[in-house]
Amino acid sequence: MPLSATHPPEKFLTLAEMMNISEQELERRKQILQFGPEDEERLLKLAPVSTRSAEAVIEAFYRHLLAFDEMRAFFPDPALLARVKARQKEYFLRLTQGDYDLDYAEERLKIGAVHEQIDLPVKHYLGMYNFYLRELWRYISEADRGHPDETLATFFSLMKLTFLDISLAIDTYIDSRERTIKALQQEVIQELSTPVLPFREGMLLLPIIGQIDSQRARQLTEHLLLAIRANRAKVIVIDITGVATVDSRVANHLVQTVDAARLMGAKVVISGISPEIALTMVTLGIDLGPVYTVGDLQNGIEHAERLLGYRVEKIAETGDDEKEA
Amino acid sequence: MDVPILKQGDYLIASILGALTDTALTRLQENLVRSVRQYRSKGVVIDVTVLDVMDSFAARTLRAITVMTRLLGAKVVIVGIQPEIAFSMVQLGLNLEGALTALDLEDGLALLKAADKKEQDGFRRHGR
Repeated sequence: MPLSATHPPEKFLTLAEMMNISEQELERRKQILQFGPEDEERLLKLAPVSTRSAEAVIEAFYRHLLAFDEMRAFFPDPALLARVKARQKEYFLRLTQGDYDLDYAEERLKIGAVHEQIDLPVKHYLGMYNFYLRELWRYISEADRGHPDETLATFFSLMKLTFLDISLAIDTYIDSRERTIKALQQEVIQELSTPVLPFREGMLLLPIIGQIDSQRARQLTEHLLLAIRANRAKVIVIDITGVATVDSRVANHLVQTVDAARLMGAKVVISGISPEIALTMVTLGIDLGPVYTVGDLQNGIEHAERLLGYRVEKIAETGDDEKEA
Repeated sequence: MDVPILKQGDYLIASILGALTDTALTRLQENLVRSVRQYRSKGVVIDVTVLDVMDSFAARTLRAITVMTRLLGAKVVIVGIQPEIAFSMVQLGLNLEGALTALDLEDGLALLKAADKKEQDGFRRHGR
């Protein structure tokens, strides 16, 4: 059902491949709808009717569609509308041309993807199918007055095929949304995940919050190494207070990060190992090896300051300050 | 192409200028150890800033140099490992265990000097 001339971006995989729709899957979908060879025959016989009625049905449909304000926005100029109507006619005629194979599914998926991209609401998508079914029912019953049973069977075949189309189109909607959500999630995680904070000259602070998986560990290490070079850091405090669980994989990532930093001449202190995490690590037999660890961030920073040769002194009581003010 | 070995006071500086073949690495190892003896050096800085790959042979040779030099009473600092190299090295498990590292030549020399000073202070305290 092309409403617009835009194409989905070029991909190396077909949509059917991307969405795991194989011959078997298509066959399965047909089985679910009980769509068989006899349905295909009936639809082929319907071809003359649909050719005859195409223009009228599509005109009627667009009159109906353009009654909605939000839909008019999709068709800013008459040329576009004409183009879309032509495509719509192709789509409409294709319903009664047989060969409902993977290529057919791919066409349907493409159409779904295009509409998802232009944000066409699903309700209008479904409205279109509904409109076609009702209009075609009129033409079918008029064309074949003598055999009510056969007329109904033909209509049911058409309905099955329409539902097959709907299932494919809706899946493209779901699939695209899932992709978008996943991409957004990744982006947010990447933004949130790895601040590398210069704390003192030669010292970096790297608070880690959330889960550490291999992708994040990799990114975190890369950020850290670049920051070591940029800030000429000698000591790094990695705070893992916000890391919920430390399993052997996480521990391994941490050791790798520490090793990589050491290769660039920087020492790493890991802080924020909670009693629970310490217990799990011992129970699981996880060893951080030569990595220097301390309990909390305060200790971590103090240790790092000592390594750098700083001595932090308290020069006044907090109370004195307040009195002066 | 051989790696030039420069003498700078008590220390030697081996500055790698381009990608090294395995033979060149082996020669560097021999030359360095010989020079440490000849100049009675206290430390060696190996600058690998320009290297954009570090394979297992190179990593092993650097470790071997570290160990051999330590036997002669001198320290080795490897400087200038780039972030990308450091990352791929740990992925391959080449972590140059036991070797001293520093960000660049300047930091490397400072590290050697600091270590020497610490040692001397230690001797002096014990001497008293």
